[in-house]
Amino acid sequence: MTDAFQQLPEELELATSAHVKYIQSLNTRQDEYDYWLTEHLRLNGVYWGLTALHLLGVPEGLPRSETIDFVLSCQHEDGGFGAAPGHDAHMLSTVSAVQILAMVDAFDELETRGKGKALVGKYIANLQNRQTGTFAGDEWGEEDTRFLYGAFNALSLLGLMDLIDVDKAVDYVAACANFDGGYGVSPGAESHSGQIFTCVASLTIAKRQDLIDKERLGKWLSERQLANGGLNGRPEKKEDVCYSWWVLSSLEMIGKTHWIDRDRLINFILQCQDTEKGGISDRPGDMVDVWHTLFGITGLSLLDYPGLEFVDEVYCLPKSTITRIFGP
Amino acid sequence: MADHGIARTTRTRTPAQKQQDLERIQKYRDLESHLRQLVSSSDYSRRKTFDLTTTLLKLNPEYYTVWNVRRRTLTSGLFSRRSDGCSCSRACSSSSRSDTTTTCSDESSCSYSTRTPHSQACRRIGRSGIIADQGSDDTAVAQEPTEREDGEAQKKDLDIITSELSFTFGLLLKSPKCYWIWSYRLWTLDQSILLLPVEKAKKIWQDELGLASKMLSMDRRNFHAWGYRRHVVSQLESRELGGDSLVESEFAYTDRMIRADLSNFSAWHSRSTLIPRLLDERGAGEDERRAFLDAELTQIREALNVGPDDQSLWYYHQFLVDNLVNPVRRPTIVPTLTVDQRVDYLLKEITEIKDLLEDYEDVKLIHEALLEYTLGLCQLEKRKPLEHERQDLISWVKKLKELDPMRMGRWVDLERDYGLTELLPGGGGGLL
Repeated sequence: MTDAFQQLPEELELATSAHVKYIQSLNTRQDEYDYWLTEHLRLNGVYWGLTALHLLGVPEGLPRSETIDFVLSCQHEDGGFGAAPGHDAHMLSTVSAVQILAMVDAFDELETRGKGKALVGKYIANLQNRQTGTFAGDEWGEEDTRFLYGAFNALSLLGLMDLIDVDKAVDYVAACANFDGGYGVSPGAESHSGQIFTCVASLTIAKRQDLIDKERLGKWLSERQLANGGLNGRPEKKEDVCYSWWVLSSLEMIGKTHWIDRDRLINFILQCQDTEKGGISDRPGDMVDVWHTLFGITGLSLLDYPGLEFVDEVYCLPKSTITRIFGP
Repeated sequence: MADHGIARTTRTRTPAQKQQDLERIQKYRDLESHLRQLVSSSDYSRRKTFDLTTTLLKLNPEYYTVWNVRRRTLTSGLFSRRSDGCSCSRACSSSSRSDTTTTCSDESSCSYSTRTPHSQACRRIGRSGIIADQGSDDTAVAQEPTEREDGEAQKKDLDIITSELSFTFGLLLKSPKCYWIWSYRLWTLDQSILLLPVEKAKKIWQDELGLASKMLSMDRRNFHAWGYRRHVVSQLESRELGGDSLVESEFAYTDRMIRADLSNFSAWHSRSTLIPRLLDERGAGEDERRAFLDAELTQIREALNVGPDDQSLWYYHQFLVDNLVNPVRRPTIVPTLTVDQRVDYLLKEITEIKDLLEDYEDVKLIHEALLEYTLGLCQLEKRKPLEHERQDLISWVKKLKELDPMRMGRWVDLERDYGLTELLPGGGGGLL
């Protein structure tokens, strides 16, 4: 592998320092209209950017104490987090908050300066539908396996899985399985790589991988790779860098990453970089954003691209964070 | 934040453009702070608050908090009945086939909602219909409304719901993949069940199938629209709406979608989920079930004759074959077939697929299907491959390695697991 990389033309190397600068610049773009239009994703954005920086080997790339201050400023009385101050609490931003605090090792600050772990756990646990086992995103009731995974992710990091009915949630995930081995947003919904990640990771956290049809799922996931090396999210769809995470992490969890062509995928991801200004886009030549930047980098990390920190395929956090929390 | 399919451009803004951006930002932020101000004074019932959400959502339909404010203005003032801000009716309705109680965060604590009237108990939608929660904060509800008042209130609610549906329709046309719009639209529909007589609510939900069709005619694979359609159908079939089964018409819908585009896996998938219920509800006996399977197999084979490299078609074929090979795994088309009958079916499929090879020697998916179905045949008969089958398997896996080196790891694993190397006669070891 390493030899092959050394032979890559210069433009096909990871533009690490450009990406670092790009991520660091994101919060300085307050004179751009888009900065304000995306405020509903701010906390998620911090998570995406910070994780990418950790994987790029610059864990101090965002100032730690300001990051913690910002996270805590998004917390509500009921323990949940909104995307930014003044935004309603939601599962997605709450999970991002927990992930950021996990990454910067600041659960203790949640206790001393925030509302405490227990209340965060309670907020999340209250979103479980106790009849079906699945989770809503917020008080308005939209349900999706994304939220179920988010709950598993955050609660297990906080050590609070006992607040929820794990068996019921697992049954629900199992009911989302399709004949093709994949999983959808709810029982009966079409298999989709993003939802497969959420379901496979949830079953992994619950230690119930025995419920997965690994051969069939592995086949379906490996068929997501197209001739240009990129991965798509469903049959007969276009490739997109973000599936370098959803598909690849799922393959990794079921031990079948070697079922796709690593070098071609690495090439595809590298082609999606803006090597000059930093950032990675969905496809070569498109606009970059921090979301695709993270998932391009996590994809490369899963493929053992040299110089990157290892990413955890279940939590989408640096391996070092996961080891610190759960032990080796 | 996640940009899809937008071409990268060199961004250099002229001073005039920068100024223009700053003005746009100022305008947007002024709207935001005005809304926050109204909400912090807890005035959800003012028309102004509602109108501001309209303006902001047109500028930014992703702004979920503003959607929530909009819901609160409706539930705490604009709708005729003050209802529970904590509407978890999605949770109820999405699982309407079993009796459900909603889950509910026990206290709303959003920054925008500090003083929203908010009863603690959630609504329940059970088999017996809607039990509207009579919370403690019922000041807006007339004690014993007269028939006329009731009629007027319903008309007002119907008007609001209709207008909300039309508002979100416009936004969906521009942002067909925005989760928040879809979710708000469903919430609006749920309100029709809570606020209107069954017949009126049902009409609204029925019309909604038209919206789902419209969105799917614009993008045949739209994941949101397919999920939405499934939800609308299950709600129409539920007891709350006194509904009958729509399985026949939905099955016919997949027919139309597939005829328009054979590659539409979303339609094939939907078909696969409808079939078990369809046959049950038809009360189909064995002959009818076999005839059904025959027709499905014929249809998909004809499609494969035209598009042998189309994954969607092969997945559906795999679904049908799975019904023969793994009859216990899930509801099946032909549960009563004997093993011999299943074997006959499978042999026929294998023969037909081999014929495909004559025209399409280099199509990988054909080789892969032959390999999988031959292994399925052995599984069905609980035996190892016969020698001639083994030779076939070896040649197909060799061809797969040649035609599809990207998935070499998988072919090598298959070879190893099933002992498919020429050097080891007798198929020693492996899974068989």
